[in-house]
Amino acid sequence: MAGTGAGGRRAVGIRARVAIVVVALVALTAGVLGAGASTVVDASLRDRLRADALRQADYDLGVLIPTALPAGIDRASLTASGLLDTFRLRTDVETIVDLGDGDPVVSSFDLVGALAGLPPELRAIVDRGEIGYAWTSVAGRSVLVLAGRPAAGAPAFYFVHDASDIDRAVAQLRIALLVGSLLLIGVALATARAVARGILRPIDAASRAAARIADGQLDARVTATSRDEFGTWAAEFNRMADTLEATIERLRAAESRNRRFVADVAHELRTPLTGLVAEASLLRVELGTLPPDARRAGELLVADVARLRSLVDDLMEVSRFDANAEQVATEPVDLGQRLRALVAARLPAAELVLPDEPVVIETDPRRVDRIVGNLLDNARLHAPGAPVAVSIARRPGAVTVTVADRGPGSGAAGSDLERLFERFAKADPARPGGSGLGLAIAREHAELLGGSLRVDANPGGGLLFELRLPVTGSLLDGDPTVTGGQDRERGPEPTRSQPR
Amino acid sequence: MDARILLVEDDASIREIVALGLRGAGFTVATAADGPDGLARFRAERPDLVLLDVMLPGLDGLDVAREIRHGSTVPIIMLTARGDTLDIVVGLEAGADDYVRKPFELPELIARVRAALRRGRGGPDEADHLRLGPLAIDVGARTVTRDGTPIPLTRTEFDVLVELARRPGQVFTREVLLERIWAYDFLGDSRLVDVAVGRLRAKIEPEPASPTLILTIRGVGYRAGG
Repeated sequence: MAGTGAGGRRAVGIRARVAIVVVALVALTAGVLGAGASTVVDASLRDRLRADALRQADYDLGVLIPTALPAGIDRASLTASGLLDTFRLRTDVETIVDLGDGDPVVSSFDLVGALAGLPPELRAIVDRGEIGYAWTSVAGRSVLVLAGRPAAGAPAFYFVHDASDIDRAVAQLRIALLVGSLLLIGVALATARAVARGILRPIDAASRAAARIADGQLDARVTATSRDEFGTWAAEFNRMADTLEATIERLRAAESRNRRFVADVAHELRTPLTGLVAEASLLRVELGTLPPDARRAGELLVADVARLRSLVDDLMEVSRFDANAEQVATEPVDLGQRLRALVAARLPAAELVLPDEPVVIETDPRRVDRIVGNLLDNARLHAPGAPVAVSIARRPGAVTVTVADRGPGSGAAGSDLERLFERFAKADPARPGGSGLGLAIAREHAELLGGSLRVDANPGGGLLFELRLPVTGSLLDGDPTVTGGQDRERGPEPTRSQPR
Repeated sequence: MDARILLVEDDASIREIVALGLRGAGFTVATAADGPDGLARFRAERPDLVLLDVMLPGLDGLDVAREIRHGSTVPIIMLTARGDTLDIVVGLEAGADDYVRKPFELPELIARVRAALRRGRGGPDEADHLRLGPLAIDVGARTVTRDGTPIPLTRTEFDVLVELARRPGQVFTREVLLERIWAYDFLGDSRLVDVAVGRLRAKIEPEPASPTLILTIRGVGYRAGG
């Protein structure tokens, strides 16, 4: 159904939006916190390394080296002193000593040629006689380099401290933070979904209640237990449903009162009408004996009583439909025989076209009589004198009875032929006809029989009514029977059966 | 045709015009305005036919019909105003032979009355005896006996039995029976036949639930068995 589809889409949308917002917020927070934390940790680790290294360099340059090499520093004395090995063993520091001859002494082969790669700013500081430091990389390793001279004019010492521990630590910290953030996002996502579902649950319940109301279950309500905005909303929804239900109940009651009134009126009319019809039937026989003026009045009276009778009959029938008091009693019916008798009784001038084989279907013969009788009456009243053709045709799963006239019907009714089936519909208001209920009644009967009644413009002019009756069982074969047709030889054939 | 007719109808206007029409057609008419009075009149007058309104004050028309049927085979025609078609079946089962729906035209009613009276007036050629299973049917005397015991049948029931028993094995459609016995043209109500056959079976069949004397031919009609 389109409604639930749209509702479902909207609910998913809200859930997704809530999830996206929550995840974005958590990710942003985790990102900022993570970046800040790793920056702070990185800086503090570097500060400590630098301070330690500086203290060490200060001591080495100021105390250790002058003490170890009091006679001055050259390549030979340096190598002999084993100072560089001492430094490495003591604190894992590699050393470059710039003797100023372009061939520095190094404590490790890794450092060969490293001097040239050091930042020039650092060498400038050293040249000024100060102790300097620089974060750089040597032989692909992240390092802290401290540099200075033991005395003015002495060779420059570059102490290379390994800083890759710091990089590793910070990298590990970042990974931990990232994993933590992802876990946090997962938890946040699950929480967001749960919260969204909780929020949407009343909306889903309300959608279901609204759908049930739309389907006619007017007593559907939302259970409003919470005291939040949804509770208020649910109370309002229920109040609306109450009002709707009450209004519809009221309308139904009024409609049912109206229907009962129509039924009562028709019923009350029936007793005096029975008198009128009987009296008129007696009067009609005696019309010839009356003086001319009284005779004309008598004729009109007889005709009006007939009209009144058909109106009351039809009203009774309509009110029975409205009360759903109709029962269908089916039996096998020979449609051809039925139609022949109907045409003979109601419109003997009509042309009847029947199949060669008898058409027997399981249906309610009294209702078939009413339908076809009303169609014939309609043709007689609204297409007076025009040719009328009645025919039967077998269709898959159904049998159709067609009543086609060549009267002015389709022109008078205009394009909206369906209107003919409305109660009190008159195709031609100027023409006094039946009750205006006959076609509406015929259609109700057709639907009770599980069939349908349609109208179309007759290609040859006039109206073409098609009654479609379902064939439920198999059509019966003929048995050796005494049928009505045999006995009709006694009188003249009342219909003009067209040979095929 | 100097038949005597009892008309039981509560509406004075209808009662008067129907009585007028019936008298004009040559019948002798007695009238009653309610059920108890109708029964009293019936016992006093011994009419040849009863016209019975279904909705009567005092005693329902259906009850009156049942009461009359206790000891009489007189033809009863119901005048029914009710729209509910079920009432017609109930009325027929109560013992009515035929019904006329209100409102009706007098010629229509008189035709029904004549048809009902004609039933049970055997023609001169009908003085013969038929047998159907254990039943002995004396068409002339209009009696049915089983093993010497007479079975009381209404005239309608008797005519249905004779019609079927005359040609055993022959299937009769309900339309044919309606035409021959009730003198209806094709548009008669086939329930008249069904209810009459049902009542007939209740009287003549050893076991009405599984009939052997009058068989239903599904979708066609009835035939005599035996």
